[in-house]
Amino acid sequence: MVTMAPHRSLRLLLASAIASGIAATSLTAGHPAQADEGDKAVLTVAVSQSVDSLSPFLAQRLVSTSIHRLTYEYLTNYDVKDARPIPGLATAWKASPDKLTWTYTIRTNSTWSDGKKATAEDAAWTFNKMMTDDNAATANGSYTANFEKVTAPDPRTLVIKLKKPQATMTALDVPIVPKHIWETVGDFSKFNNDKQFPIVGNGPFIITDYRVDQYVRLKPNKTFWRGAPKFDELVLRYYKDGDAAVAALRKGEVSFVPNLTPAQAASLKSAEDIKVNDAPGRRFYALATNPGARSKDGKKFGNGHPALLDPAVRKALFLAVDRKTIVDKVFQGHAVEGEGYIPPRFASYFWKPQGAQKLAHDPARAERMLDEAGYRKNSGGKRVGKDGRPLDFRILCHATDPNDKAVGKYLQEWWGKLGIGLKVECLDNVSDPWLKGDYDLAFDGWSVNPDPDYVLSIHTCAALPATPKDTGATDNFICDKRYDELYAKQAVEYDPAKRAQLVKQLQSRLYDTGYMNVMAYPNAVEAYRTDHIRSITTMPQAAGNLWGQDGYWSWWSAQPAASGDDQDSGSSAGLLIGAGSAAALLLAAGIAFAVRRRSTADDRE
Amino acid sequence: MTTRSLLWRRRRDSVARFWRRFRTHRAGLYGLGALALIALVALGAPLLVGGDVQSVTNAPGTALESPSARFPLGTDQFGRSLLGLLVWGARVSLAVGLLAAALSVAIGTLVGILAGHYGGWFSTIVMRITDWFLVMPSLVLAIVLATVMSRSMWTVILAIGITSWPTTARLVRAQTIAVESRPYIERATALGGGHGHIMSRHVLPNVMPLVLSQTTLCISTAILTEATLAFLGLGDPTVVSWGGMLQDAREAGAVSSGHWWYLAPPGIAIAVVALAFTLCGRAIESVLNPRLGAGR
Repeated sequence: MVTMAPHRSLRLLLASAIASGIAATSLTAGHPAQADEGDKAVLTVAVSQSVDSLSPFLAQRLVSTSIHRLTYEYLTNYDVKDARPIPGLATAWKASPDKLTWTYTIRTNSTWSDGKKATAEDAAWTFNKMMTDDNAATANGSYTANFEKVTAPDPRTLVIKLKKPQATMTALDVPIVPKHIWETVGDFSKFNNDKQFPIVGNGPFIITDYRVDQYVRLKPNKTFWRGAPKFDELVLRYYKDGDAAVAALRKGEVSFVPNLTPAQAASLKSAEDIKVNDAPGRRFYALATNPGARSKDGKKFGNGHPALLDPAVRKALFLAVDRKTIVDKVFQGHAVEGEGYIPPRFASYFWKPQGAQKLAHDPARAERMLDEAGYRKNSGGKRVGKDGRPLDFRILCHATDPNDKAVGKYLQEWWGKLGIGLKVECLDNVSDPWLKGDYDLAFDGWSVNPDPDYVLSIHTCAALPATPKDTGATDNFICDKRYDELYAKQAVEYDPAKRAQLVKQLQSRLYDTGYMNVMAYPNAVEAYRTDHIRSITTMPQAAGNLWGQDGYWSWWSAQPAASGDDQDSGSSAGLLIGAGSAAALLLAAGIAFAVRRRSTADDRE
Repeated sequence: MTTRSLLWRRRRDSVARFWRRFRTHRAGLYGLGALALIALVALGAPLLVGGDVQSVTNAPGTALESPSARFPLGTDQFGRSLLGLLVWGARVSLAVGLLAAALSVAIGTLVGILAGHYGGWFSTIVMRITDWFLVMPSLVLAIVLATVMSRSMWTVILAIGITSWPTTARLVRAQTIAVESRPYIERATALGGGHGHIMSRHVLPNVMPLVLSQTTLCISTAILTEATLAFLGLGDPTVVSWGGMLQDAREAGAVSSGHWWYLAPPGIAIAVVALAFTLCGRAIESVLNPRLGAGR
């Protein structure tokens, strides 16, 4: 669940980032700098998350969906300033009075990179494929589930008929693929679109080469209708170790590094020719509580702690969490204190609890609440339920995410004072126990799109797995009638203000259930070299992120620095090696000494 | 004079003889001195720094402070004193090292004596299993074990113990065969000594010196492996150990941001302890093994 979910990707990014640090360092050390071959302006971006698939029908990770944003047009795009829907492949759209038929006008000036025109026929084929082939619906099937019929009466017109109204019709995050290329694909569950290069697309960039966990190369699409990007090449280069990526940035081997730690950001701020971008992110970081895992057929499974089914326990746990300390200490200010489900960056949907509803940090109230609910402390200071079972919880933590471990330490101490035990279970692969429902609590986080439908849909009963053996789209097995009613209402509401109101009510309901407790909204902390990149557009333009945007704005808009300063090629791992060398030297001395002793002893034999 | 007191005098004498000979190995003495100091610090940690040093909610400093009078080694990302953590971490690193080495040597000794004593097809089978473990890259095996089991200190101990016993087993088996070829074993058998009696009363005391020196040498390997596993993030993240500190430093980005004082002390501490155990082990080995001569 956690690893495969779309847009939950920062987490994954971090996960894979650290997974094979040493291997990556030695790997990157072998490569000399690639930037500026001749007079080519190359924009190199350090990435760590592995590509799951280059097929738009399968790709769910942030790195892959970001690549697809760059290489395929979607019907609509998001405005760089305020994320409202703006023309993409479609130049205009309108809904019929009964809200069930949507007509899109397709632009005439978009061409596939092999010279053919992009038409409504391509879009219709893409949607029809997703509707008829389950394997093609893996990544974005939620958008087309409610489609009844998609047709292209002429090359410039796309008509989508719906079963019932759908609010996401101007935010269909589905890459439109060229029909004439994809028609020949047999099994969509196996085709990864990574054999024949360049890959035919109509976005601002074209993929020219890709090697697993080494690089993805893209060249600008000179015929892109909005104008060709300014850089001569865009390379996503793999650095599985964050420190190695930062060292490469300092050396000038890469131009951009995302996901910095607070210490890295602080030290890069004073570095020459490097700009640190610290902006509100589009992600939330939450504490998920197992509501008793179940499937659609009513079967219960997993071994979540029964005490967590008591709302008082869930509330008490969250009352003891000091969100301000988490922001100040763990994120060191590079985050905003958690409130509702949707980050404040999406102002129209942002909701925060007021007055009595708010569970502010109040350990004394948590104690009272637990006492009243019958969880008394025993002689050992441990809280025990009426059934005699002590409140000892487990929390699922991503072994590769330092924030999980850090927050876990705080939770242990805060809840320890309440008399509640906590075992921090850090795993490389949290998906297995998560999908089986074998957890009490878990660290959870999602990147939120400008249209919140997706992140809201994962908490509906409809998202539960069909049987305990299946995998559902559900995030945390939440199934709440009141929530589902509100979700259904907002999904068919076309009036933005009214829909926003419903989305806020949804968040309020989710907050009250206590199953998803948002602790913080982490910032996007990233850095780039100003001697490589003269200017680049963040999203939102005022204060926003560069990596993982809901559009192609950052890389499309990036302007190369004029001088094209040459960088020296050096070992990016130098720093790491240097730091460890003191210890290694001492060790080597010890071994050498021991060996010498042995040899003298042998000589005497 | 009873046989018991005679026995004790003989033991006292042999300990004294051992110490006299050990004293002549200067490097061994240095190692022993370093170990005594570190052991003292580790045992006295609750008094020296207190268990509170691990607490993140009561951390006294701010994140990643540089060394100062208040924090001689600076602070970590939670604002905890790194010197305090280093002292506290010695407990886990030493405990894991000692226990894992003890486990490894215990398994090795048991397997070695059994295989050496019974011989025949039993020995062949057991030794092939030993060979299999011997050629397996032990770090890889330890990583696999630490991954599939839950993250705790005991998992790490088990993972190290299970992967590092084959060397001991081979050594002990050779020594067992050598001991059992002596005539007095034959006499003991003739007098009715069973398998258990021979193994525990005659073979074990004779392989003990070997086992002792092997243990000392094993400990340094075990400490290094523990640090490696913790550094790779396979240890218990809630326990402070030296390897875990290195891992925390890396996760905080201390390397690229130049916070060397976070990285160097635990690294040096691991190297010093491993070196001290190696020096001691070498000295003990040359004292106990006459074939290595006076050795200096």
